[in-house]
Amino acid sequence: MLEAREVRKSYGDVRAVDGLSFSARPGEIFGLIGPNGAGKSTTIRMAMNIIAPDSGEILIRGRRLAEEDKSIVGYLPEERGLYRKAKVEEMLLYVAALKGMPEADARKNMDAWLERFGILEWKSRKIDELSKGMAQKVQFICTVIHKPRLVLFDEPFSGLDPVSQDILLDAMLELKAEGVTVLFSTHIMDHAEKICERILLVDKGREIVSGPLAEVKAKYGRNAVQIEFDGDASFVAALPFVESVRRFPRWIEAQLRPDADADELFKALAGRVRVRRFEVVSPSLHKIFTSLVGDASPETGTDAESRPEETKGGRS
Amino acid sequence: MRKLLKIARHEFRATAANKAFVVITLIGPFLILAVSLLPALAASSGSKAGSVVALVGGDAIRPALSSALGGGSSVAPLADEASAKAGVLDGKYSAALVLEPGWEGASSIPFYSKTGTDIMLYSKVSAVVDAVSRQARASVSGVAPEVVDKILKGPALDLRKLGADQAKKSSGVDDYLGILLTVMGFVMLMYMTVLLYGQLIGRSVLQEKTLKTVEIMLSAVSPRDLLWGKILGPGVAGLIQYAFWIAMALGAASVVGPALGISIPATLTPANLLWLVVFFVPAYFLYSAIYAALGAGAEDEQHLGQLAWPVIIVLMIPMVMINTFVMTPESALSVFFSFFPLTSPIVMLIRVLVSPPPAWEIALSYSILLVSVLAAGSLAARVFRVGILMTGKRRKLGEIIKWVGAR
Repeated sequence: MLEAREVRKSYGDVRAVDGLSFSARPGEIFGLIGPNGAGKSTTIRMAMNIIAPDSGEILIRGRRLAEEDKSIVGYLPEERGLYRKAKVEEMLLYVAALKGMPEADARKNMDAWLERFGILEWKSRKIDELSKGMAQKVQFICTVIHKPRLVLFDEPFSGLDPVSQDILLDAMLELKAEGVTVLFSTHIMDHAEKICERILLVDKGREIVSGPLAEVKAKYGRNAVQIEFDGDASFVAALPFVESVRRFPRWIEAQLRPDADADELFKALAGRVRVRRFEVVSPSLHKIFTSLVGDASPETGTDAESRPEETKGGRS
Repeated sequence: MRKLLKIARHEFRATAANKAFVVITLIGPFLILAVSLLPALAASSGSKAGSVVALVGGDAIRPALSSALGGGSSVAPLADEASAKAGVLDGKYSAALVLEPGWEGASSIPFYSKTGTDIMLYSKVSAVVDAVSRQARASVSGVAPEVVDKILKGPALDLRKLGADQAKKSSGVDDYLGILLTVMGFVMLMYMTVLLYGQLIGRSVLQEKTLKTVEIMLSAVSPRDLLWGKILGPGVAGLIQYAFWIAMALGAASVVGPALGISIPATLTPANLLWLVVFFVPAYFLYSAIYAALGAGAEDEQHLGQLAWPVIIVLMIPMVMINTFVMTPESALSVFFSFFPLTSPIVMLIRVLVSPPPAWEIALSYSILLVSVLAAGSLAARVFRVGILMTGKRRKLGEIIKWVGAR
């Protein structure tokens, strides 16, 4: 459905996108993941033919986005833009009309989505009057109102509260179930982890790792252990077979060296702390990302680090 | 094409709902009305009905003066100069004529007036004084007054305007005034609407860009459709506005004017109003395309204003030189500006109104204009394509022109 081949784009000396290749398939959620300034938006804008790549190409249905294909594509730009003076209803129906959807169908879809997002009563209010979160939901509806077969969401969750984020995640899963090709970019790895089938991790315009999420995890994982316990476990980080430790408020996650066995850690813990949970897990996407790219923040840092994605500063 | 029309419809609604649109639509007719009524008012306001001229001495002149001033006005005989002057200052009299005995032979006579600008009254009194004194001088010299009249009265010029159709009588000065005022009204309207719509479109393109709506729009339509839709929509609103005004003008000419007993300039004909529309349409598209391009290249409203300066200056040429174009519609200068596309809609319109040039000249000028509109449109679409997605840096006009060459 969507295929990128060796796309490159530079802004002056900065290589925003440096030879990315990937493809997104129908009925699949594809995550374009990386820190701010990794080249995600540039890639999506190139897919939308808003900016032209320096080399390589992004094909939709086998060709660069053509006018005729625009009706099956939905796009949520990173920088939100709705006509402020327009009513919610006008804006949505206008976009749907431009996408070639008959008005009656558009109205039906619009009402269904507004209802689902709990903002139906705002239908005839001006965009100006909406809160940021509501405007964001309207923008999301703008993207999907015409029942596209391919949707590209650029940072769809930014500015939304957790409840709204979950509503959006559900909506995206539903689109996937309908066979829609969903591509979204995010710098919040937790979101990607929740819903993505396949991912492309990018940093500084370059691919870090890509493939089905499960495979990526299998490849880089299997050697992390989450431990919930009572007592002082600070010695864990100093164990020779432990590579790094991440601390969370109620548990720690220890990344073992590739040749180490989780059993060794279990033995080491025995008697020194009271273990309540011991679980061998695949590491989080964040962990994989930082282990591949390197991270400015120490991985054996303090507990305060509860939003892992924020530790990685990016070019912007 | 269907998308273009949808955009145009949306933009039309946005324009027609705008306050400025309503205001201009309402003010426009008054401009036209002013144009239609001013010449007539100017002609009839010469000596206001009811003006009183004080006359000191010179009883012999009184009957002639009374009849020359006509109904409504009167002559008030007074005994002394001082009270006459006081009366003029009070506003009791419009003017005072002071005749000493033997005034017929004097080289000048005092004529008091508070304003000094009532030319009609001045010339009427002057004519009477002239005629009476001439007769008195003739009889003193022993020449029959009839002979003097015969000698002095030369043939009057009978102005006949030659058009393509036929020679027709016209009323000289009134006709010139009528043409001048009609032309000024038309030029004002053109200038006002073209500029206002241009700025409206420039701003709307700029807003699309700063609000980032453009990315959503371009995910649905092509830049070309978006550009033309944004130009076409307000254009339809503009045409509706013109239709409304023309209806008003024709209404004024056929109903209001006659009812008030004022004559409407002969130049305010349906044909001339049609010419106005014929030239408005390409002028609108030309300047709107230019403004759209500038809007796409601008960073904010202030920047847009700076970029638009050259455009406004060119558009002002016909305004500033309107007298030249009206007086000498066939001069090289007038002809040049009536072919130069940025000024031709207005200057050619002036020429058509004042002294219709050969049909081929109109056709040629119009063709140049239409080609320019298409050229400006496609250039604007390119600037639009590049400029509208770029933000964050102020660009010079030269740089924007360079984008024309971008793919």
